[in-house]
Amino acid sequence: MSIDPHVTIDFFINGTPCTAYDGETVIQAARRAGVSIPHFCWHPNLSVPGNCRICMVEVESDNGDPWFDIGCNMPVTAGMRVLTESDTVKKLRRDTMQFITLNHPVDCGICNKSGECLLQDYHYEHNGRPSLSIDRKNHATKFYPLSDRIMLDNERCIMCTRCVRFTHEVSKTHALGAVHRGDHSLIRPAENADFNEDVYSDNVIDICPVGALLSRENLDHARVWYTKATPSVCPGCARGCSIDVWHRKPEWALKALDPSLNARIERVTPRENAEVNGPWICNKGRDLARIWERPRATTALVGGTPAALDEAVERASQLMAEAARGVVLVSSWGSNEELASLHEVLTGRLASRFTARVKPDHVPQPGELVEDDILIMADKNPNRRAALALFPALEGEVAAAVADADLVLVWGEGVTDADLPAGARVVRLGSYQYETALRADVFLPISIQTERDGHYTNAQGVVTAFSSCFAPKGDVVHAEGLFQALAGNRKALHRVLAGAVS
Amino acid sequence: MTAPTAEAPTLSGRKFFMNFPVTADSHTLAAYRERGGYQALGKVLAGMQPTEVTKEVAAAGLLGHGGAAFPAGRKWGVVRLNDGEPHYVCMNADEGEPGTFKDRWLLEHVPHMCLEGLIIASFALMGRHAFIYIRGEFDLPYRRMQAAIEEAYAAGLLGENIMGSGYSLDVVLYRGAGSYVCGEASAMLASLEGKKGWPRNRPPRLTVKGLYQKPTVVNNVETLANVPVILTLGAAEFKKTGMPRSPGTQMISISGHVKRPGVYEVEYGYSWEKFLYEDCGGMLEDRALKCVIPGGVSTKILDANEIKGVTLDHNSAVAAGSQLGSGGMIAVAEGTCMVRLARVIQRFYHHESCGQCTPCREGMGWMERILDRIVRGEGRPEDIDRLYHISTANDGTTICSLGDSAGYACSAILDHYREEFEYYITNGRSMYDGRLALADPFEGAVPVPMYVGAGSAS
Repeated sequence: MSIDPHVTIDFFINGTPCTAYDGETVIQAARRAGVSIPHFCWHPNLSVPGNCRICMVEVESDNGDPWFDIGCNMPVTAGMRVLTESDTVKKLRRDTMQFITLNHPVDCGICNKSGECLLQDYHYEHNGRPSLSIDRKNHATKFYPLSDRIMLDNERCIMCTRCVRFTHEVSKTHALGAVHRGDHSLIRPAENADFNEDVYSDNVIDICPVGALLSRENLDHARVWYTKATPSVCPGCARGCSIDVWHRKPEWALKALDPSLNARIERVTPRENAEVNGPWICNKGRDLARIWERPRATTALVGGTPAALDEAVERASQLMAEAARGVVLVSSWGSNEELASLHEVLTGRLASRFTARVKPDHVPQPGELVEDDILIMADKNPNRRAALALFPALEGEVAAAVADADLVLVWGEGVTDADLPAGARVVRLGSYQYETALRADVFLPISIQTERDGHYTNAQGVVTAFSSCFAPKGDVVHAEGLFQALAGNRKALHRVLAGAVS
Repeated sequence: MTAPTAEAPTLSGRKFFMNFPVTADSHTLAAYRERGGYQALGKVLAGMQPTEVTKEVAAAGLLGHGGAAFPAGRKWGVVRLNDGEPHYVCMNADEGEPGTFKDRWLLEHVPHMCLEGLIIASFALMGRHAFIYIRGEFDLPYRRMQAAIEEAYAAGLLGENIMGSGYSLDVVLYRGAGSYVCGEASAMLASLEGKKGWPRNRPPRLTVKGLYQKPTVVNNVETLANVPVILTLGAAEFKKTGMPRSPGTQMISISGHVKRPGVYEVEYGYSWEKFLYEDCGGMLEDRALKCVIPGGVSTKILDANEIKGVTLDHNSAVAAGSQLGSGGMIAVAEGTCMVRLARVIQRFYHHESCGQCTPCREGMGWMERILDRIVRGEGRPEDIDRLYHISTANDGTTICSLGDSAGYACSAILDHYREEFEYYITNGRSMYDGRLALADPFEGAVPVPMYVGAGSAS
């Protein structure tokens, strides 16, 4: 049913007057009013199946004979008096929790979902009693691989069918279904579809209210309460989905084992952003560690040999001061702040001698889905829109654009040596280990998104902030200050050098 | 086994369906026409408006025969004819309620009457397509209905421009795949759409959003078969049969410990005891009647005392504490162990629970496991309260009424025979040990095909 926010309906929840939009159900209106009604199968972005029956509410009637129904499928009518915490409602919830945990193994101690599990939360909130059953539990498949990425534990599954509805209504692959009947029902891949081909498949892990669907890659990696989420933006394409980057809490840092585990991305999950991505992200976003945890460049190079950071910056700054026809190849992965800093330099100190072109740092990889009508966009760079607002785009081949330059400043990835004119000086600012760094006149290591704060502007013009998760290592510096230093600003140079770790 | 009508004594009251001798081709179009078939359809198509048909059915007070006894005319009246959407009528022939096999008789012996009712109902709702969802295990009924549809198409009673009236209707006959819950109207529509047979939440009602999200009326076979009767007799005449608030007749399929099980047509208001003791010949070996499951196992049982003086119609059955349901009656003789009876019923519900919503999916298995344990002699005193508790927790909390019904069935047996459960739990054995020793009236009988050489269609 469509919701019309222009028409409102007055009603009551637990005696408090509330306002619902026309077409809203009780659970939606209650949610907006800040009243929480427990729910397993209901999800704000999916259809209403009414499976779990935990959202049962009471509606008072004038003749003293109340009626009970599920809040997720109950349209709000004018003046209705809904009770969400009456004794009968509480009893119904307790009974439903007994049913839901009847065949659930309650193996929270070894379950990856433990700590962020709805079933766990609701058990403490609404039941709190051990099972009333003394009979054996049903057994079902453990560790069933739904796809190369997702593991299913059928014993933990409570048949809410959120995952099935996700593949039918959001990703539209129809890759999952329910087979068999009764308490032997199982979630299974559909016979005529391949869940591996669902590029949004990992969202079912997030929406699973229990520990039935788990990421195979992150299986048994970290307890959720030892990790924390830092808000960030996915750089995988121009959509710029809001994400959470999960990493180990500093207070729970491991003192033994490999210290790099403390600076590792445990997982990436969507952060709800109604303007951009809703509650979903694609699988590429889940695999950002594969982009961000590539071998990092942490040492400055002058003529291919390691050099002290101050020397390298001095050398680069000197080269730029000497250049007469410099070209800056602007990264479309730079934050709005970095772009502004570069723009200030190029319109100030370097105005007469330097021009700039915005290049794509990343292009679609072989086998990667280029574009779809859900989230994925063809431009595989997060901030090209903001860069193009300040600088002209690179038209045609890189080589043609830089042909008559005597110095090229390459910021970021995507430019090979072959693209650069033979006689020109080359200064590269990069984050990852490339052989090209050895052949540049100067190479300076710069920070990546997880090491700094900033903003991206996505293709629709929505600006989203990201925050740093980890401290930069080695000689890694932030590009924002570095541009000022390279243009000959001594104060900025001192700040940059002071900020670098070593 | 011979056709039950052959030897059953004539019941008092009128008969709408079982009023002709069953022969090898009494189900064909020619035979049906000889008995006055399709005259009602002709009358409707010749000069009635769709709304007039609905009014007639509503005036006749026809109740649904699927179990809930919802007035058919009122159901039809909900559909707005001028809403610009296609409307569908579905005949629910997925007769799966244990103990119920009366629709089977209708489908086998008067398929054209059912079909005529379906066509008239579709006309009343201005439907272009109608559907028959038939139980997958029904073989002969399926072939008979298929043959009837083919005959009707050939005779111009289906398809384009029926009987030259300008009204067109196509019928789709669809076989189920053996799920009990697909007899629930919304699950049936889901199954028809090719989805898993899971019931849908109301609201919206099926008359608002049914098959393919269009207004749909789902009626039982017997309900639709009554439609031509009403239009032939006229609502006033129809209303004179049966009881004022349950007009017409009820097909009753009786099984269990009676001497003459089978399908009977009973005019509403007929004495229950008379039906059991005279028409059905009383209990096997002249034992005492212990209890009756009135209309499919989903209805509450009534013991021998409770049916004394009760007549067979909806109001008196409800007054007696149960329902007439789908007319699938099971008589249980004295000496039957009710604990094991409850377990058999519960096993059925566990097997057939669709698994969609929580209370029924988990509760049915839980109840069966408890009853299993009692029957194994490992019952505990608290089990009886636990069974009541699960029944109550299923009452009104599920999407469809399967969960409620299972709860009623079990709690009604507990209400009546709690001492048998207590005895079983205390002593680890039944009050009635051993199999109920009754002579099998069909012992040694060789099953004979019902109609030898009745043509390729049957």
